[in-house]
Amino acid sequence: MEKNMKSIKLTNLKEDLKKNQIEIMLYPSKCDGCEGQEYKSCVQACETHMKEKYGKYNTARINIKSKGNKFFPILCHNCEEAPCVDACMPGARYRDNENGWTLTNYKKCVGCWMCVMVCPFGAIERVGKDHYASKCDGCIDEETPKCVEACKKGALKKIGIRNYSYERRLMIANKLYGPHLKINYNRYKSNNR
Amino acid sequence: MRYVIIGNSYSGLSCADAIRRFDKTGEITIISDESYKAYARPLISYYLEGKTTDETIWYKDDDYYEKNNYKTLFGKRVVSVNTADKKIVLDDNESIEYDKLFIGPGGVPFVPPIDGFNAESPMMGTFTKFDDAKKMERGAKLAKHKEAIVIGGGLIGLKASEGLRALDMHVTIAELLPRVLGLALDEISGGITAKKLNENGIDTATNDTVTKINVDEAGNPTSVLMKSGRELVADIVIVAIGVRPNVGFLEGSGITIDRGIIVDKTMMTNIKDVYAGGDAIVSYDILNKKPNIIAIVPLACEQGRVAGTNMAGIYREYYGGMGLNSVEIYGLPIITIGLTNPNDPSQTVFIHQEGESIYRKLVYDGQVLVGAILLGDVAGAGILSAIIRQGEKCLKYKDEFLKGNIYSFVIDNEFEIYNINEGYAIRGDFEDLPQFSRSNWR
Repeated sequence: MEKNMKSIKLTNLKEDLKKNQIEIMLYPSKCDGCEGQEYKSCVQACETHMKEKYGKYNTARINIKSKGNKFFPILCHNCEEAPCVDACMPGARYRDNENGWTLTNYKKCVGCWMCVMVCPFGAIERVGKDHYASKCDGCIDEETPKCVEACKKGALKKIGIRNYSYERRLMIANKLYGPHLKINYNRYKSNNR
Repeated sequence: MRYVIIGNSYSGLSCADAIRRFDKTGEITIISDESYKAYARPLISYYLEGKTTDETIWYKDDDYYEKNNYKTLFGKRVVSVNTADKKIVLDDNESIEYDKLFIGPGGVPFVPPIDGFNAESPMMGTFTKFDDAKKMERGAKLAKHKEAIVIGGGLIGLKASEGLRALDMHVTIAELLPRVLGLALDEISGGITAKKLNENGIDTATNDTVTKINVDEAGNPTSVLMKSGRELVADIVIVAIGVRPNVGFLEGSGITIDRGIIVDKTMMTNIKDVYAGGDAIVSYDILNKKPNIIAIVPLACEQGRVAGTNMAGIYREYYGGMGLNSVEIYGLPIITIGLTNPNDPSQTVFIHQEGESIYRKLVYDGQVLVGAILLGDVAGAGILSAIIRQGEKCLKYKDEFLKGNIYSFVIDNEFEIYNINEGYAIRGDFEDLPQFSRSNWR
């Protein structure tokens, strides 16, 4: 019983996020590119939000790339010593030391594509028409990133590191002992939210 | 601890930031021979075009120096460095003592002897500083025939031409090599670029150069004589042949210089406590596997950071860099990475071309990708540069890359090699989990 209590406390999402800030998690195997839909939910949600937030600089910051039946959401990974910050000639990209995100001052961006050239994740998009390079800013002023909110498939999640490790343990336990292990998931969920 | 940083640009500031990250109290002094706070130097051509303005050309925020507690000495030139007594001498005879010194003086434009060239003239000069751009802005207003000659068809020359063109000048680029951007591009991509320039009012005179500048009584240019025998009317002449490390002031300091400043893996020169970085140093070229001067912004920042970390007392090594560059010519983006014109016959070249809008070239050394040109469509270029930098074997992806599906490499790798089907953290403060640190990627 005591053990259970502990694990519930550890997976408290809010506290976890406060202490251990992993915020966006990708589960690429769950992404199906929103099959059959005209728009990909996350891309559309991001675009709508960016329009409100940045006005002119309104392209979606998330991108779903596919190969065969595999889909992969491409997002900024917020490198600690980000190549895009190093390469940015006008100084438009910067690392915010307070919140730890790599952010962009789009007014300074001139479209030299140095960041596109160095991003090892291909997470920066060239917007040739309006001459700027767009990149995810993590929706830092929002409670939950809009793409995470929009994803119905569970491919994008907001999560803390304790939750992450807990989820991984459950997953592996399930794989190994799957048929024999009986966990009341609902019980954890109700305590989490 | 007294840190002194010579150079108020990419490598110098990156060094200062790295020092400040680990040493919150040390005294950091930044010296620059220009009277401006740090500005985005490669952007001076965009300044002429109006894409960046007097408000947005500054590299850092307005309160950057105060916030980080950096002392600044702007508008002062360093005349000599006395490494024995650990002090530097400025042009007003003031001497400053240091405990650790960083030298990031950057490059100075190289001007070959051209008959008639006079940098003092308001209509002639080089094009690397903010003052140069302002001078050309004034010069273009005075121009009678609206004709400009740019000597050198490299990156600076091209951007200078674009800037002058935006000031309503008709520009001719004189380039000694058979194509513009001759070292980075090949014949086809050079041709596409030249055509783009010609369509927009910039003439390219390749395999040609200026032999003499004819000047009037005031010393301003009237026309230029080309090697091919042509005489072209010229109101403005810009020399943009290239830059050389700005190391003249280090004479007699005992610092080893061979073209550029020689540094070790920690970015320290042969003299203890003196570090260097940026365009003025010779660093290791991971593709050519030899020391080389690679004067580009990303490497300057990396080198500055490594030097700064070591100066603050935390050991860190620099593994070397490679040449890569990105430029946009009238809406045509061009990215070149690594070895684009291989001399070695064992290296194989793959080319894909779609008319004059898209061109891709890959250079493989066996299984390993060593160079690429992307023209027109640059999406995912960073993935290629990461692959080239890490020397990954990717010959089987060559058709995908040529078609532009660069992301297919990532998708396969993320799914299969890293086996992260079960979840993947986009962002986190992994202070206690360094193996997750994203900076390990580079």
